[in-house]
Amino acid sequence: MKKSRLNIFLLMGIVFSLILASGVSAQAAFPEKEITLIIQAAPGGVSDAVGRTMAASAEKILGVPIVPTNITGAAGAIAMGELKESPPDGYTIGYVPVELAMVKALGYADISPEDFDLIMRVNIVPAALTVRADAPYQTFEEFVEYAKEHPGEILVGTSGTGSIWHIAGLALEEVIGAKFTYVPFDGAAPSVAALMGGHIHAVTCSPTEVLSGVEGGDLKILAVLGEKRSPLFPEVPTAQELGFDINVMAWGGFALPKGTPEEVYDTIASAFWEALETETFQKIMEERGIEVSPLDGPAFREFAMQQFEMYMDLIPRALEQQ
Amino acid sequence: MEALLVAFQQVLQPQVLLYLILGTVLGLAVGTLPGLTATMAVAILTPLTFWLPPESGLGVLIGVWNASIFAGGISAVLLNIPGTPASIASTFDGHPLVKKDQAGLALGINVLYSAIGGLFGILIFLIAAFPLARFALSFGPAEYFALGLFGLSMMIAVSGTSVVKGLIAGFIGLALSLVGLDPMLATPRFNLGSTQLITGLSFIPLMIGIFGLGEVFYQMVTTLGQPQEQTKPQGERKGFSSLGRMLVNAKEFVQTLPATIIGSVTGVVIGAIPGSGADIASLIGWEFSRRTSKRKEEYGKGSIEGLAATCTANNSCLGGALTTMMALGIPGDAVTAVLIGSFMMYGVQPGPAMFRDKSDFVFMVIGLMILANLFFLATGFIFSRFAGGFILLPKPIMWSTILILSLVGSFSLNNRLFDVWVAFLGGILGFLFRRYQFPLGPIILALILGPIVERNFRTALIISHGNPAIFLTRPISLIFILGTALALASPLFLRKKRGQKE
Repeated sequence: MKKSRLNIFLLMGIVFSLILASGVSAQAAFPEKEITLIIQAAPGGVSDAVGRTMAASAEKILGVPIVPTNITGAAGAIAMGELKESPPDGYTIGYVPVELAMVKALGYADISPEDFDLIMRVNIVPAALTVRADAPYQTFEEFVEYAKEHPGEILVGTSGTGSIWHIAGLALEEVIGAKFTYVPFDGAAPSVAALMGGHIHAVTCSPTEVLSGVEGGDLKILAVLGEKRSPLFPEVPTAQELGFDINVMAWGGFALPKGTPEEVYDTIASAFWEALETETFQKIMEERGIEVSPLDGPAFREFAMQQFEMYMDLIPRALEQQ
Repeated sequence: MEALLVAFQQVLQPQVLLYLILGTVLGLAVGTLPGLTATMAVAILTPLTFWLPPESGLGVLIGVWNASIFAGGISAVLLNIPGTPASIASTFDGHPLVKKDQAGLALGINVLYSAIGGLFGILIFLIAAFPLARFALSFGPAEYFALGLFGLSMMIAVSGTSVVKGLIAGFIGLALSLVGLDPMLATPRFNLGSTQLITGLSFIPLMIGIFGLGEVFYQMVTTLGQPQEQTKPQGERKGFSSLGRMLVNAKEFVQTLPATIIGSVTGVVIGAIPGSGADIASLIGWEFSRRTSKRKEEYGKGSIEGLAATCTANNSCLGGALTTMMALGIPGDAVTAVLIGSFMMYGVQPGPAMFRDKSDFVFMVIGLMILANLFFLATGFIFSRFAGGFILLPKPIMWSTILILSLVGSFSLNNRLFDVWVAFLGGILGFLFRRYQFPLGPIILALILGPIVERNFRTALIISHGNPAIFLTRPISLIFILGTALALASPLFLRKKRGQKE
């Protein structure tokens, strides 16, 4: 009898200490172990550069390592799917690109900005209309005129059907009332190479991607298709300034799985914001030609949903035309 | 000459050399291990080198790049598993040489000819950067298509004993390459409703599976139940412990000279063409040298010429890729795409303007490339000898090591467990191919070139507004298409001729 009572006491003691321990760990300050940062693109591109630089800057503030992991495939849908399914405890963060607002319309995966707790937008990459320097049109207006007179003749290279730069071309076509023929390539760089080689007539990718060609005198940017001029080419006007209502840009930011506790969300958001403002982060972004244009969580959510609705309308029409 | 002196002045500093050595050593490891690629290594190291001065930071990256492309050949030769896709073609002749007990020679050729190719590539960069880059841009979709088609005609050459089996293997490869997004419409094809398959079967895990796991499965099954004697390492059985001589003799050097030149030139040109890298360069280099060789029949059965051509081609490709990237700001292959980012981090924008305003930087890169080649030439022989000891290990240890490396390698590429299953699928395919004596060359060829042929055929037709004459009216395209036609028709003519004689 005595022995069994002792056992019960022991058992109760263990149970109590377990409850206490778990209570303590629930109250312990986040973070207490390393954080994984999922990057949806291969090492080397803009997404990877922003993700890794942020990880390096924010881990000093949070005091735990942030380990970047590149999970590629399906225009980022696999990585974003993984983030969506991760436990919402703050230990898995993801970089989310413009494709967050696109993959559902493309039919790759059932993912929308609503599936995440968005932390912040970091950068934007505007589209720009670039042509060969020896083209018969030297200004945006001349291009518009030429395009209207020659429907279907202008070959516009894109970074793939349904990609953000293809959408930029479609939006341009709609706003100027012309008809292009689209030539999809496997990414922006091959389309720029094809433009420099004279195989196509125009591209609608970002100014960064055509920088070398423009500086070398082979290419010419006619207009930026985003909301403001590019810091790389301050002399190039935006299409909006010329009276055409168009605003297409790629962007990127960070997100957490839906349902992350508020304290955890706040800790991460303030650490990331602080990291963004460090001199090192700003300097690396500037050297890489990445335009930092931050929005906080709520503003990013509103922006992303707006984009999501726009693409849900544009992309199905775009795919139909092909 | 003066330019070279300026280049060396900048890079011959103790600190820079130290970082270059560090890069070379890392590159040897990355290259030898299947699944770790040069692109991945350079990309991951780029943010870490930001804190170093440019000559040291780029020293690490250039060291890794050069050494890993060379070191990929070591696993290709020894184990028949390409360490990186660049050395796929080195398995054609490299591994048969090992089976002929000439492992040392095969490894030695890999070291020496990789360095010859690498230095040749830099030489071309030094003397003809702009003409080469301009020529590379003339490659449009029609030319890519024709080049890819020419490459596919190699299927017959790498079919081994049975052309029918080779073609079956090739078509299996083509079928697998169709899985994934349609290149023009961007709609998922054959993905069985799975998000994992939307962008297709990842090539590197599949390659690791077919070559690595397939070989292990096959050896395990064939050795099972055989007397203990058989499972002992080759060395013990035959009573030798060394790999034999590594250096080519004068006669062999002269014999491989045409292959060396063809491999080097092919590599540098294909490297310069945007979007095609060292894997394609070494495949095409092998085929060019085979067609012009007096000893065609030895190719694929352990020809030192074939191995020399592939080793020079995949390393001279680096100089070519760097040429287009530096002269025009357009990446010549995947690694140079990453390197553009690191140039920009040092405040240098590649392009004609760089040659004008930052010529010091250009010469520094040239200096680093030359030194990187000399470094792996110096350490490569020792490292290869050390690595060569691996095949002298007892087989069970060898098998389990390859298994672990293959699985870890296929996972680490994209951090996706799904890719490990892809590697397993490749392993089963690889096993069945070996068991029923189907050649591996055609399936790999089809997986690499199939998507290029498909995409560019359709792109070219969009550009020509549907007119197929585009393939025949452009000179480079026409040459490759005639080359393909010749390759396919020549056996018929030969047979007819032989028939008339009899």
